[in-house]
Amino acid sequence: MTAPAIQAVGLSRRFGAFTAVDRVSFEVERGEIFGYLGANGAGKSTTIRMLTGLLAPSDGEARVAGRDVGRDPDAVKAAIGYMSQKFSLYLDLPVRENLRFFGGAYGLSGRDLAARVDEALERADLRDLADATTGGLPGGVRQRLALASALLHRPAVVFLDEPTAGVDPVARRTFWRIIRELSRGGTTVFVTTHYLDEAEYCRRIGLMADGRLVALDTPAALKRAWVPETILAVRGRDLARGQAALAALPGVKAVAPFGAGLHLRVEPGRPSPEDVTAALAAAGAADVSVAVAEPSLEDVFLAVVGRGGAAEVSP
Amino acid sequence: MRERVRRSLVRIGAMASKETQHVLRDPRTLVLALVMPVVMLLLFGFGVSFDLERAPLAVADRDGSDASRALVRALTASSELALAGAADADDADRLFRRGEAVALLVVPEGYAAAVARRERVPLQLLVDGADTVVANQVLTKAEALVRAETRRLGGPDLAGREPPIEVNVWTRYNPAARSALFMVPGLAAYLLAISAVLLTALTVAGEWERGSMEQLFASPVGRLEIVLGKLAPYLVLGMVELQLVVAFGAVVFDVPVRGSPFLVFALGFFFLVGMLGQGLLISVVTKNQLVATQAGALSSLLPSLLLSGMVFPLENMPLPLQTVSRIIPARYLVHGLRGIMLKGNGLDVLWPDLLAVVLFAVAILALATSRFQRRLA
Repeated sequence: MTAPAIQAVGLSRRFGAFTAVDRVSFEVERGEIFGYLGANGAGKSTTIRMLTGLLAPSDGEARVAGRDVGRDPDAVKAAIGYMSQKFSLYLDLPVRENLRFFGGAYGLSGRDLAARVDEALERADLRDLADATTGGLPGGVRQRLALASALLHRPAVVFLDEPTAGVDPVARRTFWRIIRELSRGGTTVFVTTHYLDEAEYCRRIGLMADGRLVALDTPAALKRAWVPETILAVRGRDLARGQAALAALPGVKAVAPFGAGLHLRVEPGRPSPEDVTAALAAAGAADVSVAVAEPSLEDVFLAVVGRGGAAEVSP
Repeated sequence: MRERVRRSLVRIGAMASKETQHVLRDPRTLVLALVMPVVMLLLFGFGVSFDLERAPLAVADRDGSDASRALVRALTASSELALAGAADADDADRLFRRGEAVALLVVPEGYAAAVARRERVPLQLLVDGADTVVANQVLTKAEALVRAETRRLGGPDLAGREPPIEVNVWTRYNPAARSALFMVPGLAAYLLAISAVLLTALTVAGEWERGSMEQLFASPVGRLEIVLGKLAPYLVLGMVELQLVVAFGAVVFDVPVRGSPFLVFALGFFFLVGMLGQGLLISVVTKNQLVATQAGALSSLLPSLLLSGMVFPLENMPLPLQTVSRIIPARYLVHGLRGIMLKGNGLDVLWPDLLAVVLFAVAILALATSRFQRRLA
């Protein structure tokens, strides 16, 4: 099995006149964590639905776990795990029954099923909650349960569609620990997210804008390729007043809010951090400090989307 | 091959067991499925087989003879009818409206003389038809009593052929009163139809709304497996419901099962499969619980109430409605159940009804399964 775990060739999907996914091609290696990034509506979920056999491609083809999605969707479905955006658990059933159901849906039964369910409860740290009603659990716990449900049948490839949306940071960290363990165990993980900090955990990242895959590489390579400029991280008070002045400085390519401060993308060498401090002070900002920053994936994202056109950027 | 069948059965079993747990964990479903039919049966049933107890009968005795008084005594001697007082022949509307009497007997002048001459005497009985059930029973009872009186006066040999007393019945307000026993089999069809269509419409639409249908589609569970697993628990529930209705009908209302109980359940089984299929089709098309509920209620309640022959006799309907009623499965169940329960008919007579519900079940399940695509959009 040296073939890639996922292989998409010219994958497209049109809804009437609207092209949701436009000739997307990529390969994902076995055991890789592959991040699929993009603004809302960029075509991430549509791509996942085509790869999981839920949606027929209008064009192109895809192979997942060695099987052709279009020709043999049932074989693909048996080999993959899928966690949809809404983590569709049955909220009126207890945790254990949710796991038993999804196990049964993949053909597990009897002692085998019981053993897998126990194992899943253990791995997702849900043993004490096995008999709790799912609807009463906090979002982070439900998310772990949904992931455990998707993994019961030990799939070779797991598709996670925005698994951490609306989950608190601690729960997100726990979740990503589980994902990295999975990947070490040889499971391929295809994950969409719009939390850019999470994308740093991925070995490679694909960036979607307006249905097209506009960038694909490791996080470090993406930063080098898309943000050749120097990034100046500016902190201070009343920075908003100086934003226009900064944009007018020669050499400044972009000014964007970043956390509580601003990120400036500037040509190498100019303006200097001192020029920036001076311009901001003149505009009325106080306690200004400027430092050269490592470009983040957010900078990459903004650069890609900025070039890709008028895509809407989600917060 | 055997492994494939085993896995398929495991998946159906997983669906069915999950669905059963939904039902067991939501008392509302059980109430809807088991308690509601019994309550409705009791309500309708007591409405229909209301035992006549001292129903007030007014009498306009224009003859005022010993013979006419004897007739009135004969009528009101039983516990079913009670003399509400003397009245005039034109008083019927007033008496009925105020509820002072449910029937008015008019004895014409010259009754005694005519009886003595053994001539036919037209008696007039006006019945308040607003409550069809009471009206029906008063009518039956009064006719029986008058017939007995006729027999007493005319002798057994005469009574059969040419009764000297003739009853002219005028039913006011609702001339289409029907027999009580006919209601319970009809009601069984009606209740099964509503709860089966509603339950499946709700549960499948809920799966779409929750987003778990997408999750199911991404798993190897096939659509037929989803359909079978989803429907099986409700089929069991429906069969329990049918037994409850038949048992309550028998115990509480003395509705007999003269024919084969097996035939009752065979007919009920295929009818249920058809209704579950109808609910499935609705939810597959609407994918929304609210819309599915309304469509489910309308498409099951109205036809099975109005076009099944349960309340309104099909023979009296205009031809277009009669034609429409032919595709309403409740029509065949009502007809079949009445045949089995009340007349003791067997398969030799009822096979067209059984065939009709089987055909409906097969057709609607095929349609629902074909509309139920395991892909999104």
